[in-house]
Amino acid sequence: MDESNHWYGHSRILGTYCGLPDDTPRRIQGFVQHGWNYLHGFPPNDHWCSPGYPRFIWSDVLRRRGWSMGRRGHYLIGAPWIYLLDMEPDLGRIPEAERRGTIWYPFHGWEKGAVDGDHFRLAAEIREVETGPVTVCLYWLEFGDPDIRRAYESAGFRVVCHGDRGSRWDGRGRDFLRRQLTELRRHRRVASNRLGSALFYGASVGCDVAVYGDPMQFEGERPEYGGTARRMRLWPELHGVRVDPGLAAEAARRELGFDHQATPEELLRMFGWKRVRCA
Amino acid sequence: MRVNETPGNVRMIGGEMLLWSDADAATDWRGVGLELAGRLLPASGRVLLAGPHAAGLVAAVADRAGHAAVLVRSHPDACALAGRHPSLTVHCGRLRALTEEEPYDLVLALDGLGRTHSAEEPAPSWQESFEALARLVPPGGRLVLAVPNDLGVDRFVEARPPDRQGADGDWEPRGFDPTHPCGPAALDAALAAAGLVTEGRYAAYPGRDAPRALLASELLAQELPEALTVPLAARGGDTMLVADPLRLTRLAFRHGLGEHLAPLWVAVATRPAAGLPAEPLAGLLPAGLVEVGRVVHEVTATTTRRLPDGSPRPIPRGRVLEEVLVEACAREDVRSIRHLLARLADWVEDGGDAPADNLVWDGERFAAVTPLPAPTGPVAARVVLCRILWRFAVRLLAAGHHHPWPWPQAADELALTLCGMAGRPCGEDDLDQARKLDAELGEPAGPATAPAYRDLLAAHDRLSDRLTATLARVARLETKLSYRERELVRARAKLRRTQRKAAALRSSLGHRLSRRLARPRKAARRMLRLLSG
Repeated sequence: MDESNHWYGHSRILGTYCGLPDDTPRRIQGFVQHGWNYLHGFPPNDHWCSPGYPRFIWSDVLRRRGWSMGRRGHYLIGAPWIYLLDMEPDLGRIPEAERRGTIWYPFHGWEKGAVDGDHFRLAAEIREVETGPVTVCLYWLEFGDPDIRRAYESAGFRVVCHGDRGSRWDGRGRDFLRRQLTELRRHRRVASNRLGSALFYGASVGCDVAVYGDPMQFEGERPEYGGTARRMRLWPELHGVRVDPGLAAEAARRELGFDHQATPEELLRMFGWKRVRCA
Repeated sequence: MRVNETPGNVRMIGGEMLLWSDADAATDWRGVGLELAGRLLPASGRVLLAGPHAAGLVAAVADRAGHAAVLVRSHPDACALAGRHPSLTVHCGRLRALTEEEPYDLVLALDGLGRTHSAEEPAPSWQESFEALARLVPPGGRLVLAVPNDLGVDRFVEARPPDRQGADGDWEPRGFDPTHPCGPAALDAALAAAGLVTEGRYAAYPGRDAPRALLASELLAQELPEALTVPLAARGGDTMLVADPLRLTRLAFRHGLGEHLAPLWVAVATRPAAGLPAEPLAGLLPAGLVEVGRVVHEVTATTTRRLPDGSPRPIPRGRVLEEVLVEACAREDVRSIRHLLARLADWVEDGGDAPADNLVWDGERFAAVTPLPAPTGPVAARVVLCRILWRFAVRLLAAGHHHPWPWPQAADELALTLCGMAGRPCGEDDLDQARKLDAELGEPAGPATAPAYRDLLAAHDRLSDRLTATLARVARLETKLSYRERELVRARAKLRRTQRKAAALRSSLGHRLSRRLARPRKAARRMLRLLSG
């Protein structure tokens, strides 16, 4: 249906959950929300989500907001991440006492828009706040930029990348979320300069959460989101150097839609992977 | 739309909706809403308008209250209001996030509670929203709350009730909230449970979207004259109707259900202050307010008084003329119609003017329910009568009532017939003038533009009758045609047979011989004719 259904290995994870082989993922009849978002689960210019096909979204607030903005056909299944956790309860798990340091996700741009901000200043701020070892995880585009890497490496941080987000036809994004899960389960804290999927993923596997530092500007950021001020108003409890882990876990639970996990049979039917033979 | 462009008097309390506006959806209160709010506004003190309100109401409150605040969920609405009224405090967000340190002397929620939550939260029940609202009313403070009635008479007439439309505002489906008050008693109980004492309860008519009349429950307990209840019927507007709202509303009142079937209730309640006597309200709250055009009238069961400074005049009694006529039509009682129309013509010639749906007849005389504005120029009594009857004809046919005149008669034709029955024959010219006059007076002739579901059913029945008849005719013609075709075939076969026989005869020996023999005789006869010349 759309390329974004296959990013980060989402379609493969959902396929495996439904008992299908993950070599070539099947086409999903609908649109799977591919990242955490505080609009309606999709970007403001979502004209590519053809009406009539379901929008598989993560949480109920997105449905309500989407409805108020004229979108229909939402179907709540929660994030692909929760299906991964369901299938990989122990992947990368180490004893709780051995989890160390912070994994830091600077807000990233994407293939069609870069982020504007001072990475050296951010690295200095991270150094000031974090006491343990720091791993900085960059998006593949920024990982490929030696200047940005140097900003973090020179501060003594380990710099990693979970890889390209992949597509339906190549297996590059296949293990993206598995790599991320392994990293998150090794660290005690997850932090970023903006709320995002990674933070909620981290909170859902027991990491402490922190949001601080220059949120940076995104080229052509859409006003529909309401900017940083709105994020601060919506989730004041998740911003800061120290965040209540209970509140963070609760927010992650809500935002990733843990209560909305569907059964394999339901997904098979909803994705159009199991045809009803009508006489 | 950036948040940093928000005016200074907007307070973001959380749960605001960025891409949303309630400005066009808010209950369209005009004269009566303003009048009621105006009577309750404290001379000085804090007033909150909770939820979206009509622009006129916000402006009036902002002008007259010592400190005025509004609560709206839409960010664009909040910015617009704040820009328009710099003295106003605008809380932008959801009701339950409004936790003020200082409560309000008067809280007005005249749009109800349905637009006080936001898409950012799981939709609260009516009870939860109400509790949040009641918390803003301190001891000695007052609350005016509108509550839409799920069983309102407007619900009966709408073919497409809004709660089944699934509009953008209905991310939470409507009509499934068990805490929503079912009836005036339940509303009183909810107020009492929150520690509020009901001082007055009103039924708002004709519809929840644009109330134009408020009638106190004490008033509704009495038998009200039809001249008072007629204007309370919802006009169709551009909505699709199931039934004639006029008739249904009149029935509701006649059955004493005016309060139970009101589209909207408005409650005025106070939280009693310990030790402090409540500010006396007696005499301040009207028994009823009715808006006609831009003028608000204060009404009782028998009198009406034009506000602000009119003197009371009695309300005429009697039945609405249109209904009397419709009944006579249903009975095919042409004699009564003739008689009544003649009396109407006399009344019009004495200077009376009001359409049949705005006129009461007590058996002896006519009285206009709401006096009409005078037409701009002098109009002949004949034309006035013609207009009244044309309008009645349009409404009668549009509503699909039974009548004694043969069916495919258009309104124009019927109007001229009615004029004739009144003994005042009119021509096409009079009718043209009458139609012009009707357009000038502005009130559309009736549900002609938006047919009621019943009318559609009637039209459907008529069409299916015609279709049955037409099909029967086609079948009959078909039978005839095949019979004729068979006949034709048979005739042609006969003809061919005869021709063949004739040819055979011509070529026979006897025939040829007789022709030869006849030739000299023929020639002789021709010669004789020439000679006798």
